[in-house]
Amino acid sequence: MELLSQIMIMAVGAIFINNFVLAKFLGICPYLGVSKKLDSALGMGMAVIFVMTMASAITWLIQTYLLVPFKIEYLQTIAFILTIASLVQFVEMVIQKNAPALYKSLGVFLPLITTNCAVLGVAILNLTADNGLPYNFGFSILNGFFSGVGFTVVLVLMAGIREKLEYAELPASMKGMPIALIIAGSMALAFLGFAGLKF
Amino acid sequence: MKYYLKLGIILFVTCAIATGILAYLNGLTAPMIKEVKDKEAKEAQLEVTKVDENDSTPYTFEARFLDLDIKGDSVFYFVAFNEDKEKVGFVMTATKYGYSSNVKTVVGLNNEFKIKKIKVIDQAETPGLGAKCVNADFAPRFANLGVNELKVDKDGGTIQSITGATITTRTISNSIKESLQLLMEKEAN
Amino acid sequence: MSAMKEFTKGFIKENPVFILVLGMCPTLAVTSSVQDALGMGLSATFVLLCSNIIVSLIKGIVPTKIRIPMFIVVIATFVTIVDMAMAAFMPPLHKSLGLFIPLIVVNCIILGRAEAFASKNNVFMSMIDALGMGLGFTFALVVLGTIRELLGAGKILGFPILPQAYQDNPMLVAILAPGAFITLGFILAVINLLNKRGK
Repeated sequence: MELLSQIMIMAVGAIFINNFVLAKFLGICPYLGVSKKLDSALGMGMAVIFVMTMASAITWLIQTYLLVPFKIEYLQTIAFILTIASLVQFVEMVIQKNAPALYKSLGVFLPLITTNCAVLGVAILNLTADNGLPYNFGFSILNGFFSGVGFTVVLVLMAGIREKLEYAELPASMKGMPIALIIAGSMALAFLGFAGLKF
Repeated sequence: MKYYLKLGIILFVTCAIATGILAYLNGLTAPMIKEVKDKEAKEAQLEVTKVDENDSTPYTFEARFLDLDIKGDSVFYFVAFNEDKEKVGFVMTATKYGYSSNVKTVVGLNNEFKIKKIKVIDQAETPGLGAKCVNADFAPRFANLGVNELKVDKDGGTIQSITGATITTRTISNSIKESLQLLMEKEAN
Repeated sequence: MSAMKEFTKGFIKENPVFILVLGMCPTLAVTSSVQDALGMGLSATFVLLCSNIIVSLIKGIVPTKIRIPMFIVVIATFVTIVDMAMAAFMPPLHKSLGLFIPLIVVNCIILGRAEAFASKNNVFMSMIDALGMGLGFTFALVVLGTIRELLGAGKILGFPILPQAYQDNPMLVAILAPGAFITLGFILAVINLLNKRGK
């Protein structure tokens, strides 16, 4: 029961209260770049959930069994970014070979994920134990997963709004990026309201 | 095949060079970073122990084991002595997750386990709201409180919360309470 | 003459934040005060300058197939150096920038300049380009930071500007997450407007 409630707290925290995009400012580039169409937003979201979960697992193992025992924590940044880059490459190859249908929908987004700071961000955050939750392998993976879900939720919401926006009459200078940012701001404002959800 | 081997070797050599440079620089900066951290901790310790700003007693501190933290590292509390080797109180560090970060507070206690002074040394709470816990007017709200009086006004206590940041205030209050209870248990033995 | 052109393009014509809309994560995350904005901007400029120099030096010997991982290693090395140096010499700034220092690695501006400019041009030009782009980035961060700190706290660089009554009750939303999005949105809209007028 204890475990379940901790997981619930983590899920609500990662998805709503401390949302990666709207509260922590991680993964803004894809959030603004890939939110023009609902389909691609969903595809990108799925790819990010997948990679973030995998990356959380692998970087946790690297930190605990490689960097800490050899006292080379200062190589964290290099080690993690290379791991994530090769992980993304590897995932891309595996999917391409074994699930061509999935590759068709996710493939184009995978290379973009290497430079998505949300992935490196979650890997580093997991290891600072700065989320008030037990510090272990399982929770790191779950945190990666839920943070990815949080990213996907706001990405899809944003895409939904922006599709409607196509038909809105706007001053020419507000079109495109400016209005997207202002909408993102309004969403962040709405998400601030989730603060009361803190248990 | 040979081509890929060459690529691998080039990449490996690059990483090796990078590691070498960083290892050298780490050797230079690591002691400095540690020194900065130690100095910070010492200053905070002294600040919460002093009676007032002009107090120049050469306090000494003795570390005792308190608890294991979330990563399994040992957390210590300190017994403070004045120049005549008389016990004047305790210093402990309380850490708990607040609204968006771990909030770390150094707490000075007197011999009766009442709070003398607190100082928030580490936090990344919301700027303008929770982050106000480092302001000068925040710490005095905790002065002279004992373990059972650590409650914020929203929960029926006396500690005035920061406007719009009850969670941060409550976190600090609860973290001190938990650590203080542990400390009192250890001292009772 | 053309060196001058390469230098100034980063400020206005190809400003990485205002025109190219790159490097959004640090732009939004660390601009709640001018001091943090300046710290982040200059750190990124340093990394950009060093990585552009190295990339431009090694461009002849790097096989095209693995150039991206090589660039990433170079960038990550300099980011770690900045991280260490800042922790040793400027601990308060290191604390407030926190996670966003290691995340300079995935700042698209830096990899983007390495790939698009430094790997094709000589060392001198790459340096000029890095300085222009880096300072342009810093400039954008400082503009955003100034507006947000002024509105949200009534101060600039910690110095009180607006009357005490305002400081006691400021427009807090400007330094909270939503303020970052909305302020940048309006800045971009104004720039669009000015560009149109200019034509």
